[in-house]
Amino acid sequence: MGKQIDLLQGTLDMLILKAVSLGPLHGYGVLLRIQQISDEQLEIQQGSLYPALYRLEHQGLIASEWGESDNKRKAKFYSLTAAGRRQLHSETEKWNRMALLIASILRTTPEQV
Amino acid sequence: MNLLARFRSWLKWMVTRQRLESEMETEVRFHIESYAADLVRKGLSQEEAMRQARIEFGGIETHKDEVRASVGVRWWGELGSDLRYGVRLLRKNPGFAAVAILTLALGVGANTAIFSIVNSVLLRPLPYRDPDRLVRIFFNEPGLGLRDVTVSKPELDDLTDRAGVFEDVSAIAGGSANLTGVKQPERIEFVLIGFDYFSMLGATPQIGRLYGPQDHVPGFSPNVVISDALWHRDFGADPNVLGRTFRFDGDPATIIGVLPPGFRHPGPTVSGDVQVWSAAGFSADPFPKPIRSNHGLNAGTIGRLKPGLTLDQAQSRLTAMATELRRDFPTDYPQQAQWTIEIQPLQEVLVGKVRPMLIITLGTVILIVLIVSLNIANLLLARASGRQQEMAVRLALGASRGRMIRQMLTESLLLSLIGGLAGIVTAFTTLDFILRFVPASIPRLHEVRIDEAVLAFAVLISLLTGLVFGLVPALHSARVALSSGIREGGRGSGYSSKTECLRDVLIVSELAFAVMLMVGAGLLLRTLRDLLRENPGFNPTQVVAANIWLPVPDNPNEDPYRGIAPKVAFDRELLRRLKTIPGVNLAAITTDLPTTNHSLNDPNGNYALAIEDRPVESSQDLRAERVRISPEYFKLMQAPLVRGRSFSEGDEDGKQPVAIVDETTASKYWPGRDPLGRRVRFGQDPTLPWMTIVGVVKDIKSDGLDVDGVPHIYVPIFQNPWRAQSVVLRTSLPANALESQIRHEVQSIDPGLPVYGVSSMNDVLDASLASRRFSAQLVGGFAGLALLLASIGIYGLLAYMVSQRSREIGLRMALGASRNNVLKLFLQKGVVLAGIGIVAGVVFSASTASLMASLLYGVRPHDPAVFLAVPLLLFVVAVVASYLPARRATKVDPMVALREA
Repeated sequence: MGKQIDLLQGTLDMLILKAVSLGPLHGYGVLLRIQQISDEQLEIQQGSLYPALYRLEHQGLIASEWGESDNKRKAKFYSLTAAGRRQLHSETEKWNRMALLIASILRTTPEQV
Repeated sequence: MNLLARFRSWLKWMVTRQRLESEMETEVRFHIESYAADLVRKGLSQEEAMRQARIEFGGIETHKDEVRASVGVRWWGELGSDLRYGVRLLRKNPGFAAVAILTLALGVGANTAIFSIVNSVLLRPLPYRDPDRLVRIFFNEPGLGLRDVTVSKPELDDLTDRAGVFEDVSAIAGGSANLTGVKQPERIEFVLIGFDYFSMLGATPQIGRLYGPQDHVPGFSPNVVISDALWHRDFGADPNVLGRTFRFDGDPATIIGVLPPGFRHPGPTVSGDVQVWSAAGFSADPFPKPIRSNHGLNAGTIGRLKPGLTLDQAQSRLTAMATELRRDFPTDYPQQAQWTIEIQPLQEVLVGKVRPMLIITLGTVILIVLIVSLNIANLLLARASGRQQEMAVRLALGASRGRMIRQMLTESLLLSLIGGLAGIVTAFTTLDFILRFVPASIPRLHEVRIDEAVLAFAVLISLLTGLVFGLVPALHSARVALSSGIREGGRGSGYSSKTECLRDVLIVSELAFAVMLMVGAGLLLRTLRDLLRENPGFNPTQVVAANIWLPVPDNPNEDPYRGIAPKVAFDRELLRRLKTIPGVNLAAITTDLPTTNHSLNDPNGNYALAIEDRPVESSQDLRAERVRISPEYFKLMQAPLVRGRSFSEGDEDGKQPVAIVDETTASKYWPGRDPLGRRVRFGQDPTLPWMTIVGVVKDIKSDGLDVDGVPHIYVPIFQNPWRAQSVVLRTSLPANALESQIRHEVQSIDPGLPVYGVSSMNDVLDASLASRRFSAQLVGGFAGLALLLASIGIYGLLAYMVSQRSREIGLRMALGASRNNVLKLFLQKGVVLAGIGIVAGVVFSASTASLMASLLYGVRPHDPAVFLAVPLLLFVVAVVASYLPARRATKVDPMVALREA
């Protein structure tokens, strides 16, 4: 396990949307998926996942359904709604613009000012 | 984001809370167990894996709580627990709860009941079609200082045909008449109306029909419409009542319709509700000839404005029309009279007179509820001080200040809602009782009920009081500094100087409000007492009065009382018979029973007077009220004759006309001179004979105990007989014992005559003060309550201070303070607070008392007696209320107090 990065404020929602956009997942699955795609570099407090999941569902961005897990147990699966897809899209764009902007600011050399 | 989705989700949570909670539980358990399983696969023992999984998940309950917050249902759960906590606190302090809820129930109940009256009488629109277009039309002669003068038929026609501002107009003449042809002859109230009256008001019948075009006749219609009450009382609610006839002042009347129970005539009534509506064309017998100069119709006129017309537009059109008419008919409208037409909203005319009284009453109950909530705020503040430690601990454990304010507000609102509910129940159960004390002269009382608007007002008042008494302690306790709270709590005191100051302000305002109420009550009660002591100009004790009316049939030839002789004969026979009743010492007749005469506003009773040897020009403003009496009237009433003689049996028709003036008339028209022997007459008809003044009598309060300065001229009834009469008897018997005998004697002369309003003269005087008595007693009662609450407030404050400072007292006494020093310490506190409150209250009252001027009689708004007595009384009460706890302070045992600390 490499060095872990604390989650940036407000990015958990976006990561959850991204995780379920790849296919329906239960809560624990969302955690595993985020850890997997971040190469185990992100530290998420496991319990704090649930308030975020319920909030997103409350906002209509994801939907939930009870189903059966791999180990044949009853689990709640979350999937992206149309509104969630739009939200993920706009969030991604916003994030990219922001990242570019910040990066260009940080690249600035004294001569350029 | 998506509001609908959020609301759906919130609703789902609210409705299926139980299931969702258990699902959340399942989900969390699945997460932990799955993680644990993964850990086991990595080589941990089952037990160790579960432990590890739980640790990494974090506080389960905290996360669940965040979930609830994130879907917006957490506050709901918190509200529930706050409420449960509030109820538990109330049950732990039953004394506090009882005082708070009882006083709130009283305050909110009084507000609800009084507001239901104000709402129905003043605020709700009149119960007719488009009530805002209904106006009362006045004909005035401002040049003569006269308002609402009589009209002629052509003038009524001008309103409909020429003015162009009215959709409908109806002349209305109220009166009472003898109803015969039913079980017992009775006196009923009726209105004489135009044929458009019902369509103007938008009334519909319960059964039968109302007047239509086919009814139009120039004189009286033979058809009448009756009230629901009369239908039930005299006709047993018989559905076949249509077509039945009865006699109405001798004339046959046929019933064509019955009005629904809720319908009331929109005008002042003589004695009660109108029972019979009788329409007429106002242009044939027995009405005056329909010519302009014949201003003989004493009619209050009501009109409905055309739609879209404002009051001002209509008024300016009518003013213009009046000017045209004065120009076109200069002989009918003398220059100096300045005859004109005025309109006012009907509702305003109906309720305008009672507005000051109702507003004062509402103001009173609002002051009461303010005092109640200040009192509760004080109690809560005392309790909050006791809870400072609890609050400090909760703050230290991480509760937010907002959360704590919310909890304390929830507690106060819970209290105020319980109190408010109790208040609404109180209002429902006592409204009928209160209405019994409300003078019947207030219009629209039958409409009074507790409707949605009143309930909304009650809830609003209780919530507002809850906010008033809850906010102060809530904000205060949340502001408590963490460390000091715990420290003070640890020391067992919890009484900060800030709290003390706040409580002082509350007590001072409470006292100030109490002073205002008591000053108001003092002024009203003094007015009432003065009026009760007012010399009415006669001795009302052992006098019984009854009313009779000699009917006027439409056809003069069917009138048994036509002319002077039959009326005089009736009166003489009646007096002879009444005197034979055992126990009756004297009997007399008058046309104006003292304090019941309303002719002040009645152009027919307030007569223009002519005085011999005075120029006609100046006689324009000579007026006096004419009272017809039988010879023994003054002797019976024990009204002292100042000069001259009383009337005798010989002052009859054909002899020299005579008159007796009262002192007001004498001093107004013959100041400093002797009126005896001078000659006067009523009206400007020069063919009428002059009446010679033969006596001067002391003033009799003919128009009400609170009306002064109206000139009266008494004339012998045998020379000027009249149909409306009151008989008075001097007797030691009570009124109810005489009623049947009076009726028997009257009906053995004429079986068709009803006898009504039999009562003792004292009761007549009393009834004339009903409205004043109501407001005085109501405000007085509430002022007493305010006094009680204020003294409880002072007592509570000092008692609390004594208990909180017992250690300090002990210390002082141990260091040598005497019991007197300690007594002085607390007494001084109470006295200073009372002093400030009283001074503030007196200043407030002094600046607002003049608003009450219209309700006072014989007492100035700044009556020194009231403004001295009220502060003194309140001060004494405050001193006693402070003395009791102060004395308890002196009983503190220094040893015990110090050891406990």
